[in-house]
Amino acid sequence: MNWKPNPFVIAGLAMTSAPIVAQAKIYVSIEQAQKIIFPNKVLTKAPILITGDLQDKMRSASSIRHPFQGERIWKASDGGWFIVDEVVGKHEMITYAVGLSPTGSVQSIEILEYVESYGYEVAEANWRKQFVGKTASDAIKLNQDIQNIGGATLSCKHITDGVKRVVTLYDLALKQAHSK
Amino acid sequence: MKLTIKRLIAFCILLATALHFSFAHAGEGVFGWLYTLDLQPKGKLEFEQRLQLNQQQSSGTYDAWTARTELEYGLTNDLQVAGYINSYYTNANQNYTNPEACGDTPTCTGGYGVPSSHDPSTAYRKSGIEGGSLEAIYRITNPVTSPVGVGLYLEPTWGRNKDEIEARLLLQSNFIDDRLILAGNVVVANERLKFIENGNVPESMMDFLVGASYRFAPKWSAGVEARFHNDYSELNLRNQVQRATFVGPNMHYAAKDWWVTGAWRYQLKGGTCMGGGEAECSNARVWDSHSVNEFIVKVGFPLN
Repeated sequence: MNWKPNPFVIAGLAMTSAPIVAQAKIYVSIEQAQKIIFPNKVLTKAPILITGDLQDKMRSASSIRHPFQGERIWKASDGGWFIVDEVVGKHEMITYAVGLSPTGSVQSIEILEYVESYGYEVAEANWRKQFVGKTASDAIKLNQDIQNIGGATLSCKHITDGVKRVVTLYDLALKQAHSK
Repeated sequence: MKLTIKRLIAFCILLATALHFSFAHAGEGVFGWLYTLDLQPKGKLEFEQRLQLNQQQSSGTYDAWTARTELEYGLTNDLQVAGYINSYYTNANQNYTNPEACGDTPTCTGGYGVPSSHDPSTAYRKSGIEGGSLEAIYRITNPVTSPVGVGLYLEPTWGRNKDEIEARLLLQSNFIDDRLILAGNVVVANERLKFIENGNVPESMMDFLVGASYRFAPKWSAGVEARFHNDYSELNLRNQVQRATFVGPNMHYAAKDWWVTGAWRYQLKGGTCMGGGEAECSNARVWDSHSVNEFIVKVGFPLN
């Protein structure tokens, strides 16, 4: 068959793709999340260097392969921590924030950015509150101590694993920094 | 109105455009032909449009276009049902060279869709609505939370050219934060061909499909898939008449509101015919409904 690109075909393809510039669904900005999790607390940026060894240990504890970035860490005036991380979503990265108490237990999590077709229930308070009080000694595993949301399994699993690696980060690195 | 390939493509684009502007949100198939266990969540409905071209047989012209317009719905999070309308456009001319098919002439017109009554010295062109299919996929284990995802697939088809019942065993394992997908399908089907002989010719087939797809960047996946095909001249996989192997790349793009997949399969040399089906082979390849190249484009739009 001789294929001659038809201008109408090209125009049609352009029409189908033009408005599909993904409109990122941002739930909260980093600043908003800081105010929600640590109201009336002063937060100071406290980035840390993630060594290869630390990265390996966090990967081993959480099974997440996507590397953790150490520059989005803040320390609260009460000794707590505010950490922003991202994990793989079905189509794009899911960005979330975890607030840790001074002793390393999860105070709260917030979904910052989620751009997927389904699974927006992960931002609902009922699902997020399952993480409250969890520490590195907890399993923090989907279908074990964290319940799944049907139809959003991949997002639930990756966020759950993400929280696991954040509490592991506290256990392996931030705890020592706190005690200094 | 006669269905031509231009009209078919224009209709697909029109439908895709209209749906894109009307609705938001996406589920998806990262492979061209392989089925995965990524199903519609409970209560979610998706529109999918497929367009496939099987192109080039032994000589001359062979373009077999098939289109599938589909709605998928999640009855539960692990049970998806679907229904689709199939349409086709076949353009064959002097595409066979096997003497068993062509006799004393060096080439003749034949292949899938060309009726026995057609004069093989002339071109054959026909288009229309082929028929409809129903489909159900049940996910027994989810590859996101289990080492191996397992599912069952059942698809009855009623068509102008053939009726078919197809079953698949779906297997899938995910790696590297679920960005690498390895999948396999075992496909078995019983068919009754209606366009040749007495209009009731039994056939069956068994395929093994394997593939890998890697999400190399946000929204983008690419991979390869292969098909190991076996055809039989009787029901229930009795009397094998064809064996062929296809392999090729796939590319997938998915955003929140839509997805598109394109794939190409190339028939490797080494295909064979046997058991009375020798007329369908030449140049170490298998013809009938198969060709040297198979192309597919699929687009999907979640509707709610």
